[in-house]
Amino acid sequence: MGIVIETSSLTKQYGKKQVVKDLDLKVPGGSIYGFLGPNGAGKSTTMKMILGLAKPTSGTVTVLGKTVNSRNRLSILKDTGSLIESPSYYGHLSGRENLQVICTLKQVPESAIDEVLQTVRMEKQQNKKVGQYSLGMKQRLGLAAALLGHPRILLLDEPTNGLDPAGIQEMRELICTLPSRYGMTVLVSSHLLSEIDQMATYVGIISKGSLVFQDKLASLHEHSKARMKLRTTDDRQSFLSLKHSGLPVEIEKENLYLLSDRDEDILHAGTILSENKLGILRLEEQQKSLEDIFLNLTGRSISL
Amino acid sequence: MSKIKSGISSSFTAEQQKQRRRRIWIVPLGFLVILFLWAFIGKRSLSAEDLARGYSYTLYQFPLLNVVLVPVMTAVIASRLCDMEIKGNTLKLLCTLQKRSSFYDWKFIHELKYLLIFTIGEGILVPLIGMFCHFTQKLPLPLVFLHVGTTTLVSLVLLTLQHFLSLMSSNQILPLLVGLIGSFLGLFSMFFPPRAARFILWGYFSAFSPYGMDYDSQTRVMSFYRIPFPTETFVLFILFGLLFFVVCRTVFVKKEV
Repeated sequence: MGIVIETSSLTKQYGKKQVVKDLDLKVPGGSIYGFLGPNGAGKSTTMKMILGLAKPTSGTVTVLGKTVNSRNRLSILKDTGSLIESPSYYGHLSGRENLQVICTLKQVPESAIDEVLQTVRMEKQQNKKVGQYSLGMKQRLGLAAALLGHPRILLLDEPTNGLDPAGIQEMRELICTLPSRYGMTVLVSSHLLSEIDQMATYVGIISKGSLVFQDKLASLHEHSKARMKLRTTDDRQSFLSLKHSGLPVEIEKENLYLLSDRDEDILHAGTILSENKLGILRLEEQQKSLEDIFLNLTGRSISL
Repeated sequence: MSKIKSGISSSFTAEQQKQRRRRIWIVPLGFLVILFLWAFIGKRSLSAEDLARGYSYTLYQFPLLNVVLVPVMTAVIASRLCDMEIKGNTLKLLCTLQKRSSFYDWKFIHELKYLLIFTIGEGILVPLIGMFCHFTQKLPLPLVFLHVGTTTLVSLVLLTLQHFLSLMSSNQILPLLVGLIGSFLGLFSMFFPPRAARFILWGYFSAFSPYGMDYDSQTRVMSFYRIPFPTETFVLFILFGLLFFVVCRTVFVKKEV
């Protein structure tokens, strides 16, 4: 499957403030695309523009190969399900009746309700009024509504917001099963790196409206490779000697780093330093965490 | 064609499904009961002379009562139907499933349904009160129809305003307050010079009243006279109503959710 959602130079401006800037999002089919960014980075606005709920100031949105415009928006959205920000529901109706309304609007037979209720594990609460549901149950109902009619794409905006740890885990497990179970592509946004790390196969990081990273999650992990911090009798001289012998080294904030954690490289570095009469005072392994990478990319602190 | 038809019927049915257990019909019915009691109690002990002009009195009185009741009723109906969307945060979801204009129109049509219960009910109340109070005047059926028509039209314009406000406000207190203030303004507008009164939307019930009243303070006798139908005002009011609906609808459709 190719790219199912693509935005090209997508921009949204409110007054003088650019909320989303030249965003080129590419969501591969069959993936769980984690759309990550701090609060207020422009995630919800981007998702709203994809769904046609907000009009882009400039740029285009292509869904399933078709460029979305006001005329074809609804026919394209027939293949999508969405859960944007807080869950949508009719509090005076039961869970099942809520889904019946969605079935009518999606023109999906009501027999589909049982399946989605089973998927979100809500069979027992289906006849209770939604006004009496907990937030977690409302979110699950929202997901059930989004799943009605087996959409090819699912857009979930912060689906675990406000949920307790058990609810978060349950929602996460549910989302992870969707591509394999229904062949869906899931675009899920979050400000929690750990959450995206546990769900996504692809990740896009947005900061202050701009996309600062977009690739496979594995590629993001590669950035987190370990390095060795060295303290020697003369760091500057050691840097030159190690570099001269072809070892990957750098000096960052007056600290010397060997950019490898392979045993042979460390041994080799020790030998070279000893040959040059430079003594090793300290040797420390440093793992660059995903949080560090996120911080480097966004320049902002992150919720954990 | 069949696609459009199924879209229309699904929007209509979905709106119907949302109203389960809301018992919104109680609102127009409740206002009809108030109207009936108000009109009936005042006519329990009428003289033979009064009975001979009973329908004229009723058709003069109903537009005045409508000025007080209908603004509040339209505010309550619109609020009851729109609040479920605002409270449940459903607009974002609905706008991915149906056209905003279609949502706006069907919601309005369902509100109109409850409004018609009231206006048609009011038309039925006229002969009913005549029967209970033993009016001797012949029922002026064409004037009753005219009254129902003009009441529906003015109520529709007020409903347009309330519908728009209820969908645009995150808190339903504002539209309800507008209904309440409108009711007072409509009442006061009857004491305004006619030209100034034309600017008060809520006072138009009395502008289309088929009867006027003269009260002689010395003899303390009321007499009713026929007012020629203000066709020009009526046409202009229809045009204004249509334009007002289109403007409100366009603003809603363009609003980002």
